[in-house]
Parts: sequence; structure tokens; C-alpha cells
Amino acid sequence: MKLDALRMFNVKRFADSGVSIEGFGDGVNILCAPNEAGKTTSFEALNALFFVKHSSTAADARTLRPYSGGNCLVETDVTTPRGRYRLTKQFFGRSHAKVLDLATNQILSQADEAEAFISDLVQGGAGGAAGLLWVRQGVTGWDRRPKAEEDSEKNARTNLLQSVQGEVETITGGRRMAEILSATAASRAELVTATGRPRAGGKYAAAIDLRDRLQAELQRLDTEVQALREALDRRASIQRRLAEVESPEERQARLEAVTAAEAAFEDARLQHEALKTLEAELNLATERRSAVLREHDQHRDALARLAALSADLQAARSRHGESVGRRSAAGDAEKTARAEADQAEEAVVAARAALDQGDAAQRARDAVARSQAHRDSLAQAIGIRSEIETLSAKIAAARVPSDAIRDLEALDVKIVRLTAIRDAARPSVTVEYEAGAQARLQLDGQDLAGGEDHGYDGHATLFAPGIARVHLRSNRPDDPGQLTALEDARRVLLASIGVGDVDAARARQTQAQHLEGLLGVEKARLAVLAPEGIDRLQEIVAADEDIDPGLLDLDLDRDALRATYEAAVERRRAAVASLGECETIRSAADAAYVAAQTALAGLEAQEGQIAAILGPVDTRETRLETLAGSLALLQEAQVEAQVKVDALRGRVTDLAIAEAALRRVRSVKEAAEREVGSLREENAALNAQIRTRSDEAVEEDRNEKAEALAAAAARVASFEHEVAILDRLHGALDAARAEARELYLTPVMTELAPLLSLLFEDAVIAFNDQTLLPETLIRKGLEEEVACLSGGMREQLSILTRLAFARLMARGGRPAPVILDDALVYSDDDRIERMFNALHMQARDQQIIVFSCRQRAFQKLGGAALQMTAWTP
Amino acid sequence: MFRFIHSSDLHLGKRFGGFSGDLPGRLREARHGVLGRLADHAREQEASAVILAGDTFDTETPASDVRRQALTEMGQHPSIRWVLLPGNHDSLQAAELWSCVAAEAPPNVTLAQEAEPVALARDVFVLPAPCTTRRPGRDTTAWMDAAPTPEGALRIGLAHGAVQTFAEEGSTEEVIAPDRARRAGLDYLALGDWHGAVQIDERTFYSGTPEPDRFKHDRPGEALLVSLNGARALPQITPLATGAFQWRTLDLQVLSHDDPVDILRSLITEPNQRRQTLVRVLASGHCRLARHAALVAHAEDLSPDFAWFELDMDGLALEHEVDDLDDIERSGALRVAADSLLREADDTSLSSAERAVAGAALARLYRRAREMTS
Repeated sequence: MKLDALRMFNVKRFADSGVSIEGFGDGVNILCAPNEAGKTTSFEALNALFFVKHSSTAADARTLRPYSGGNCLVETDVTTPRGRYRLTKQFFGRSHAKVLDLATNQILSQADEAEAFISDLVQGGAGGAAGLLWVRQGVTGWDRRPKAEEDSEKNARTNLLQSVQGEVETITGGRRMAEILSATAASRAELVTATGRPRAGGKYAAAIDLRDRLQAELQRLDTEVQALREALDRRASIQRRLAEVESPEERQARLEAVTAAEAAFEDARLQHEALKTLEAELNLATERRSAVLREHDQHRDALARLAALSADLQAARSRHGESVGRRSAAGDAEKTARAEADQAEEAVVAARAALDQGDAAQRARDAVARSQAHRDSLAQAIGIRSEIETLSAKIAAARVPSDAIRDLEALDVKIVRLTAIRDAARPSVTVEYEAGAQARLQLDGQDLAGGEDHGYDGHATLFAPGIARVHLRSNRPDDPGQLTALEDARRVLLASIGVGDVDAARARQTQAQHLEGLLGVEKARLAVLAPEGIDRLQEIVAADEDIDPGLLDLDLDRDALRATYEAAVERRRAAVASLGECETIRSAADAAYVAAQTALAGLEAQEGQIAAILGPVDTRETRLETLAGSLALLQEAQVEAQVKVDALRGRVTDLAIAEAALRRVRSVKEAAEREVGSLREENAALNAQIRTRSDEAVEEDRNEKAEALAAAAARVASFEHEVAILDRLHGALDAARAEARELYLTPVMTELAPLLSLLFEDAVIAFNDQTLLPETLIRKGLEEEVACLSGGMREQLSILTRLAFARLMARGGRPAPVILDDALVYSDDDRIERMFNALHMQARDQQIIVFSCRQRAFQKLGGAALQMTAWTP
Repeated sequence: MFRFIHSSDLHLGKRFGGFSGDLPGRLREARHGVLGRLADHAREQEASAVILAGDTFDTETPASDVRRQALTEMGQHPSIRWVLLPGNHDSLQAAELWSCVAAEAPPNVTLAQEAEPVALARDVFVLPAPCTTRRPGRDTTAWMDAAPTPEGALRIGLAHGAVQTFAEEGSTEEVIAPDRARRAGLDYLALGDWHGAVQIDERTFYSGTPEPDRFKHDRPGEALLVSLNGARALPQITPLATGAFQWRTLDLQVLSHDDPVDILRSLITEPNQRRQTLVRVLASGHCRLARHAALVAHAEDLSPDFAWFELDMDGLALEHEVDDLDDIERSGALRVAADSLLREADDTSLSSAERAVAGAALARLYRRAREMTS
């Protein structure tokens, strides 16, 4: 095919206008025009005419449309071995395609037939061999483009090789191989992807999907069927069980068992009640026997204790009498000692007075001798006295009267002592009978024993039978009242001191003592000056001046007086000591008396208690015998009751066992009733479940799915086998084709070699087996990746390869124009001229159409120059 | 004389999930239709009863429409007494099924659910041996030996199960005694379970299924017309055709010189029966690529005529001659590929599966090459 002319109207920049390029010739044709002149538009219009359906509204058609819209018209005249034709396509509104035979001016075909005619001219459209020869600006074949475009071009190259290699078809298989391989690949592609995975949406994937779904469904149905069978089995079991449990015999047996157990339980309960009564009687007999036994033992023990207590009482009374005697003797001795002490005191007073008179006479004589010294001392002493008065005022404020503390301490002692001797000070009467006295004195109705001290409280009556009745009255105040008075006195004393207790008083006293120390110093000074006081010193001074002359004349023996005085003092000391000893003895005698009295009273109290237990003396032994008799009778009653209890206990039915048996048979009956209810409920539920599943025909469904699954699995296996067959066939074909591929490429290399030599010396190209593109360039033994070459070299190799393919087509009798749209844009001046030579070399029997904006560079290309002129359809 | 029809294994409700399209529906409908055909035969042959020896239903829980429609169909023929015996597929364990059937059955349907004599007519008793479970594990007919019936009455045994075990150590106690008819003084023992009609002895018969459901037995669907001319008289058995569909397994044995297509043509039924025929062709032997391809092509051509057509060529080995490969290509890449596949197909060092794949690939190459040539 050769192009003769191109015309277009309302295409891209030619909105509502047209342009034509006429006079395409054989060999090289060139249309040089500046940018925006419409070269690329012409290329695209030509491309659309041959490769885009007239009915298309896709992007490749829309690119033709100007912004203003409207219909796009493209027309070309071609020459083929069969004749000259005008091909016309209009896109968008009233779209159409037609082929006009220029020889007859008859429309050869229209619409789809016209499309088929055009497609046949370019051998398969854009994906066909001719499409390979149309090179757009900058497209080299190595640039990254959409995969579909790359695949299309690859197929074109493959098809081209296969179609043009008539001379090697017998070796390579040619079209038959391609078709079988293509059919095999297509069959395989329907089933699996390139990587062997089942193709989504394909029959194989659908079979697998169906098998998997059936497997899942079968699994579900198996579960359903299993559940149904279990439900059926369970229901059968329930119904059998219901028949058993609800059978009249079973029901009657349960009722009879309950009745029998209830009767047995009632019988056991009555026996149990009787046993409880007997046991209560036994307990009562036992209690009564125990009570009598306790009373018997208590009486017997009381008799024994009373016998033992009589000796103790006698001894206590003896000790009491002795203590009364000792207490009376101690009282007499105390009275004697006190009289001696009083007489010794009087003697001391008299001796002192005599001694004082002797001393006064001596002082009078000394005063006369010290008169002046006494006056000086008096003056100093008066000053010191003033100081002493000041200190004394302070001391007065702080001082606690020394006797107050002492009194307090004394009061404490007294209170303690009074408390201790309160009982000892009790008044008493002691009688000493005349020898041969017949009568006895009675104190308050009791005979008084002789020589004993009999105490009393308050009032008492002493009766001398036949003589007189003496009323005794103790005036001793009540001990509690005396003690209260002492305690009140102590509180008053503390209040007067202004302290709360004795310790505080002592603290005040300590302070006062300190002041008194100071006072003592002054007083010492004063004492030095006025040993007998200022008054005395004044008296001395005054006495010095006014001495009793009688004293000066009095002559007494002072040593004798002193000796008399000291003897009197010694006598008084001895008397006081004797009195103390007597008082101590009296106190001890009082204490012994109190102890003896207390012990005697305790024993008498015990004797009273035992007597109260034993009762009248004359009934005591009889009572013991009576108790022993009762004890024997009660023992017999207890044994008899025990025998009855043991006898009944041996034959009584265990109530717990009877009750457990009753509970058991009742629970059996109740459990049976509950079980019946539960089974009926479960049976009803199972009925519904079974009916539902039966209505759903799950078993039939399951069997159907099982058979379907077997069929589906067989179908999957069949597909697997089919894929294996196709894989193997494709592999065998592919391997055979690969083996022959070198032969395929030989003609290309044959065509390419002289073209390459125009650009490179000693250059060889190796093709990629898969892409059928030049892969490496070998120059002077050095191998270079084509992809790594410069853009200019890649572009040149791309065009040369296409020229080689074009030559193959031409030699195969199917020449197609090579169209280059602004190609060789990267080539330098030297290389571009070599490329021009290559173009011309190939253009000997090949139409080559070049569009370029590089007017000056392409002036050297030569060939037929084309012009664009306005055109209207 | 007492006449009845002996049939079994209707398997009503079976769905035939292994098939596709409308065939499962047609097969299912044919099973239901057999009831009408049995009734027609009964009327034509003046048989008063149709005795079904088990597996009337395919499952223990058939869909209610299957059950109801079957009973309704039986009820449409009130002059015929239908006796239904529980088989292993619809054993008494299917209590739900049999309670529903008992409730829904028309008066002319008798359920043989108990092992006790059932009066079928005056002096005619059926002694049923229902399957209590799917696998009873005992000879269910043993009770018949001592089953009392009036003197001179006809005794018709009715049972479902095998008369022999195929297990290596199977106990014969689990199968029906083959001589049960003799032991129990039966005039006839009607058996079910075996889908093809089989005679065990002169009084013991399997009726087979009236409507085949598998390729196994390769017999047309039939029932047995049984005529009893009196106690201890030998029964007269007449097969009656009942099947709507034929299930045929065609054994296509091919030798090297045979044309498998010719053989297949000789085996195929008449065209007017094909729509009601399911065919499985089991090809075996040896053939060359051309005949192999021709057989495949012929099978593909035949397939639409039949209800089901299946060609199993696993047993058919390929034989290769040089001129077979010449039909593909005398030289060039196609020939190289064919040679390599042939070598693999004959390479004993490869597995049989690999060799089979290579052979099939070569056959496929041959077919495609021939298609292009033609």
C-alpha cells in the first residue's frame, strides 16, 4: 500500500476548516513546516483513519475533535496492488466510513465493510504490522508506555516476523504455529492466568469455586443431617423412655412404694414417740435418785464436819479466855507506870526553878561588870533586829507553822490508829467471883464467867441474881464520828495553811526554812550581840542600871542545884520509858484478844450453819437412815425404767432411715413426673426441629450436594488435567518456537546489518527473545545495553529496526508506508545525515513519509517535498 | 390365583446433584412417574397389589411434597393395594416419616412396619421384614420361619437387604438367608435393595428398581409381575418395563485396526430414544492419533442428542506413527514440538501421569493442526 494524498476537515486546530496534502510519491516524502502548522494533526488524522473505528467516541477519536466540536472528516487516497481507493471516515455526528474505487468512482464498501477493508490494508490495524511502522515523535520502543500499547507493538513485531518469513515457514511453522500457539494460549488463558492461577471469572475458577461452595454447603448439610439424625435418635430415645416411665405398671409401682414408705414412716414415728416418753421417765427417775443421793451425802458429811468442829470450838474458847486475862494485867501495869511518870515530872519542875534563881544572881553580878559593852551591843542589835523583822515578814508569809505539819502528821497517825484500835477500845466488864460464890452474874441474860473480859456496845445490863440489876452505858463516842471529826480537823488545818495536802505544806516549809537560814545568820549576829535578845539586852542595859541589889547579895550553890535538877530529869526519863513499855504490852494484849474473839466467832458461825443443815439433834441419825432407804427405792425405779428403754430401743425402727426411704420414693415419683414433663417438652421441641428440617429436606439436599460435589470435583480434576495438557502443549510449542527464533530473526538481521553499518562500524545487534526488540549493541567486541545508550542512539536504532521490518514486509509483497512524525529529534547533524542515507537506502521500494519542524536540518534529507493546502470537502 | 407386582427401590425424592441443567428435574420427575406406570401395569395385568420391598423414599426425612405427592398418586388408584416396606434408606428409625405416612396414607396403602403377617387377601398373607435401622445387623427374615398363617394360605415374604456380604470377614448372620423361602415355607420372597433384577432361586427375586438411577446395573427399569397359582405352586414371574430413562454404560474396546467411531455408532441407541438415555462410554484399548481425534469429535457431536453423554478415555492408550506426526507438520517448529511430546509420551522413565499428559497434549496438537488444515 502506498499513500497518495491526505485530506482532513474540522480536525483539531483546523476547526471548521480543511487542509490537504497531495502528491505523496514513492520513496522519501517530507513535509517540513514550523510548529503548530498541523504536521502532528496530519499524522494523528492519518492514524485515526487507519486505526480508529468511525463509530468510536473513545479518547483516540476525541483527540481529533476541535474545541468548537463538530464532526471530523479524514480522507486519504491509496494505491494498492489491487487498485486505487479513496478512504473516507467521518467521526461523531453522522459518522460513517466508506471506500471509493477511484478507477470506477464507485463506492466499494461502507461502514463495517469499509472498516474491514481498511484493516486489511494495514494488516490488523494499529496492532498489526503496519502500525509498527508508524513512529510518533520521541517514541523509540524502549520508553515506558502503557502495557497494552507495548504488548500490541510486540504482537505486531511477532506477527510481522511470522508473516513475512515465507521462506522460513517450513522451518518455523509460521502462521500455523502462531495460530496453534495462540489458540493454546487462549485456551489456557481462559482457564488460568500467566502464573498458573485459576483465572477469575473463568470456567476453571468457577468450577473450583463451585466445588468449594459445595464442600462448604455439604459440610453444613452434614451438620444439619447429623443434627437431624441425632434429633431423631433422641426423640426415639425420649419416646421409649416416656413409654417406660408412663407405663401404668411403673406408675402404680411408684404410688405403692410411696404409700408403703409413708406407712413405715408413721409406724417408726409412733415408736419413736413412745421411746421418747420412756426415756423421759428414765431421766426423771435418774434425777430423783441423784437428788436423794446428794441429800444423803450432804447430811452424812455435815455430821462428820460437826464432830470435827467441836474440838476447834473448845480450843478457840480457851484461847479467848487467856487473851482476856493478859489484857487485864497489861492495863494495871500501864496505870502504875503513868503515876510514876507524873511524879517525876513534878520533881523536874521544882529543881528547875531553884536552878533559875541561882543563875539570876550570877547574871546580876556579871551585868554590873559588862554595862558599857552591853549598851554598844544594844545599838547594833536594834539595827539587826530591823533586818530580822523584814525577813520575818517574808517568812511569815511563807511559813507553815511547824506544828501544823506535825499536827497534820499527827492527825494522820491518829486517824490510822483510831481506825486500828476502834475495836480494841471497846468497853468491857471483867468479874472476879469470890471463892465459894454460888450465884453468877449475867450480862444481857448470859452467865458471866469469872476472870473473863466481856465487852459490850452502847447499853448493857448486868444482872446479879437476888441482888441488883446494873445498867451499864458506854459513853465512848461512835468510832465513825470520832474519825470524821479528825478528818474534818485535818481539812480545816490544810485550809488554814492554804495548801491542799501535806506535801504542799512541806514545800512551803522548805521555802520558809531558806528564809529562816538568812534570818538565822542575822539572828546569829544578833545573838552574838544580844544572846538573850534585844529586850533582854535592853533589860540587861536597864538592869545594868537597875539591878536588884537583892540578887547581888544572894549567894546560892549553883552546882548543887544543877545536880538536883539533872537527877529529877533522869527520873522522869526512866518513868516515861517504863510507861512506853507498858503501853506496848497493853496494845499487844488488845490485838491478841481481838484475834481470839474473831476466831471463836467464826467457828461458832460454822457450827450454826451445820446445825441448821442437820436440824434438831435428836432427828439427825433417823434422817440419815430415811435418806438411805429412799435412795435404794429410787435406784430400783431407775433400773426398771432403763430396762424398758433398752427393750424398746432394741426393736424400734430407725426414724431417719424410714424418713430417708420415704423421701427417696417420693423423690423417685417426683423425678419421674418431672422427667415426664421435661421429656414431653423436649419431645415437642424435637418434633418442631425434625419437622422443620424434614420440610427443608436436608437429607435429600445433602445427597444432592454430595453428588454435585463429586461431579464438581471431577470437573475441577478435568480442568486441572486440561491445564496440564495445555501447559505441556504450550511449553512444547514455545520451546520449539524459541529454538527457531534465531531463524526468525535472521532476515531482520540481514536487513538491519547494512543499515547499521551506515551508522556504526562493526556493529551487531542482539534481539530480546521476548520483546523482539534490540537488546544489546555489540561494537568492536564491546557489548552495550541498548537501554543504556543515549536517547539519540536509541531513537536511531528504533527507526533502523522499523526500516528493516518494513523491508521484510515489502519483500513479502505487502509494502506499507513508514511514517515518521518528528522523529530523529535527538540526532546530531552527522548522525542525521547518516539516517537520511538509511532512509533513502530503504526507500528504494518503500514509501517513507517524514513530518518535521526542523526545516533546515531536514533540507538535506532530499526526497519529495509536500505542501499543505486549504481544502473543503 | 393371586397376582401382584413386586417392585422396590423407588428412591422417591432423589435429586441427582451430579448432573446439571434440567436433567436432575427430569430424573426426579421420572421417579415419581413410576408410581403411575406401576399402577397402569397392575390394571393391565389384573394384579390386585403392588408390593414395594423397601427404599420407597430416598431418605429418612424426605420433603413433605415428595411424601404427600407419592401417597396422593397411590390414592389415585384405589383398586390397587399398595404395600410399603421400610428399607435401609427409609428404615423404621425414620419415625417421623412413617408416622406422617401413617397419618396421610390413603386407605389402599398398607404400611408393613411390623414383623407379623398382614392379610393381603383371603388366604394371602404378606410376611414383612422391615428394616428397623439403616443397618439392622441381623437377618430380619428369620422370624418368618415360625410365622403362623392359616393352612393352605399363600405366604409372601417381603424383605429388604443383601443375601450375601461382600466384606472379607462379613458375618452371614447379618444378611438375609438365601434359602429363606424354603426354610419359611414361603411361596414367594420379594426382595429389595439390589437395583438390578436378580433371581436368587425359583421363589426368591430381587425386582430391581423400576427407574434406574445409576450406571451400575446397566438394565432397564423393570418390575416383576408375580402370579401365584396356589400354595407351594412355583410362582410365575414376568418382567414389566417401567423405566422412563435408560442408563447405559457402553464398553468401547478399540484395537489398533479398529475405528472407534464405527464401534461407537454400533453401540448407540436409536435417535428417538437418546433424549431419555444417559450414556457413559468407557473407551479402552489402543488407537492412533487420527482415530483418537475422530472419536473425540464424534462424541462432541453426539453429546447434545442424549440426556447425558460422557466419554471416558482414560483407558484408551494412544499409538503414534510417524505419519501421524506428518499430519501435524512434516518439519519445522510444529514438528519439533510434536516429536518432543511423542518422546515424552513413550518415555518410561516418566510417571504414567506425565506420559498421559504428554500424549494428550500431542493429541490436542494433532487436532488443532488438523482443524487448521481442514
